[in-house]
Amino acid sequence: MTSMGSTTFEITINLIKLVLVFLMMVQMVPILVWLERRGSAFIQNRFGPNRVGPLGLVQLLADAVKFLTKEDFAPDKANRFMFYASPIFALIPASIAYMAIPMSVPLKLESATYLIQGFEINVGIVFILGVSSLAAYTILMAGWGSGSKYSLMGAMRAAAQIISYELALGLSIVGIILLYGTFNLTEMITAQQGILQFKAFGYTMSNSWLPNWGVFYQPVGMILFFAATFAESNRLPFDLAEGEAELVAGFHTEYGGFKMLMFFIGEYGHMMIASGLMATFFFGGFSIWNLTPQEVYQWFFAHTGSELASNILNTVVHFVSYFIKLAIFLWIFIHVRWTLPRFRYDQLMDLGWKTMLPWALANTMITAAIIFATSYFIL
Amino acid sequence: MTADVFLFWFLAIVTVVSGLAVILMANPIYSALCLAMTMVSVAAIFVTLQAYFLAGVQLIVYAGAVMVLFVMVLMLFDLKHELQAFSRGRFTGAIKIGAVGVLAGLIVGAVTAVIMNMKEGVSAVATAVPSDATKPLAEQLFLNHVFGFEALGVLLLVVAVGTVALSRSKGGTHARH
Repeated sequence: MTSMGSTTFEITINLIKLVLVFLMMVQMVPILVWLERRGSAFIQNRFGPNRVGPLGLVQLLADAVKFLTKEDFAPDKANRFMFYASPIFALIPASIAYMAIPMSVPLKLESATYLIQGFEINVGIVFILGVSSLAAYTILMAGWGSGSKYSLMGAMRAAAQIISYELALGLSIVGIILLYGTFNLTEMITAQQGILQFKAFGYTMSNSWLPNWGVFYQPVGMILFFAATFAESNRLPFDLAEGEAELVAGFHTEYGGFKMLMFFIGEYGHMMIASGLMATFFFGGFSIWNLTPQEVYQWFFAHTGSELASNILNTVVHFVSYFIKLAIFLWIFIHVRWTLPRFRYDQLMDLGWKTMLPWALANTMITAAIIFATSYFIL
Repeated sequence: MTADVFLFWFLAIVTVVSGLAVILMANPIYSALCLAMTMVSVAAIFVTLQAYFLAGVQLIVYAGAVMVLFVMVLMLFDLKHELQAFSRGRFTGAIKIGAVGVLAGLIVGAVTAVIMNMKEGVSAVATAVPSDATKPLAEQLFLNHVFGFEALGVLLLVVAVGTVALSRSKGGTHARH
């Protein structure tokens, strides 16, 4: 569906898609938790969960049942409305922002075209940054609503950290926005298809095997963006918000059972957004190494001889390509968490304000100057 | 009732109710959170008017950064005194009643104006801008009004520096004795 909903059919399809993408996000969380526990065990040379089911995979189901059957508990001094509302709010920014990321080429079936994303919005990246910046409220609400000092301190730390790193995050992708001249994520992916080639000073430079990915134009932006997303999703080495040694568990100290699980889903949702955006901005989104979707479609058409089958296969193959990239970045998130120690709070603020912000600013200015020079002066 | 009309009324009611809650709530933290809610629903109204860039900026700047700071600072205070000051007393009561009266008048006026407009067929949605309004907006800001835009930026910087200077001078929280 290209438009948001002018007919009943479009509205129905869009609603179904919203539910599907949300379920996909929520269903990935148990798998990621399993991966994180097994992966950390692998890194730390121990076993991890391996008793329930093959490779411990059914452990997730057991955990979910355990979370559901736990006592529903609220502290005496808590503000009950905020205490119960904030875990639900924690799911909203992550799931809404994730829906705007395109996951595959549009599926063409007979007369209609279905976008493989929750909804297309023309200013995709501004929208995603805006919605995911609302996550700070859920943390503040949880910390204040719990009526506990540890929770409040954890929430303050987390909110201050999110606001500080949002600046570096926003500035680090200005370079990529300047480069592609659009806010639209699908157009960015289209600009990254095929082999590496660009126009400079009136010449066209090209290369035979490197893909046309953003990382080759914006390596500094890539590093800054990835580091800032670690801070945004409150993961190690930036998980000052839940420094166990000093704050018990930060803003979710008082939470247990399913409420705690919902915060977890929110955190993993932010990881998924970060990984999806990394793939979209710097690693070609759903596109395959050196190939454009048209070439893939041609290959399928030559082998199957059916337009319908090639359309479906094209979409599926590109979805798999997107998913592999997503999985690689999610694994990097997990691996870094179990490799690096936590920062001290002043180091964290220094890194955000005195290191990453100036670097991101310099990257923006240099990119702008180079884009202007290469397109304006013709040798 | 089409989707546009439904969305407009739904968002309008959410905006007005959360805006009312900002001034009617006794607890400043609830007021601040309701103000954030108002800003989010105004951003949603921008989306229905196809001003996507404005909606995103509204979310990032107002809801995502400014109001978060407000809420954060409010949560650090011990608010028992403020709670009493704003929920008791004849003077504040009179102010409250007066403010609610003015606001009610404004709301009634706005709703009647909208209803009259709709009868005349002058819908706000119908005169909407083209689907990609980001570029025209940038052209307005950076070509036609570039001096005012930059002057505002300098003004904001001066305000920020001035605030820091004031807070570090005599009697401030970081005063040098």
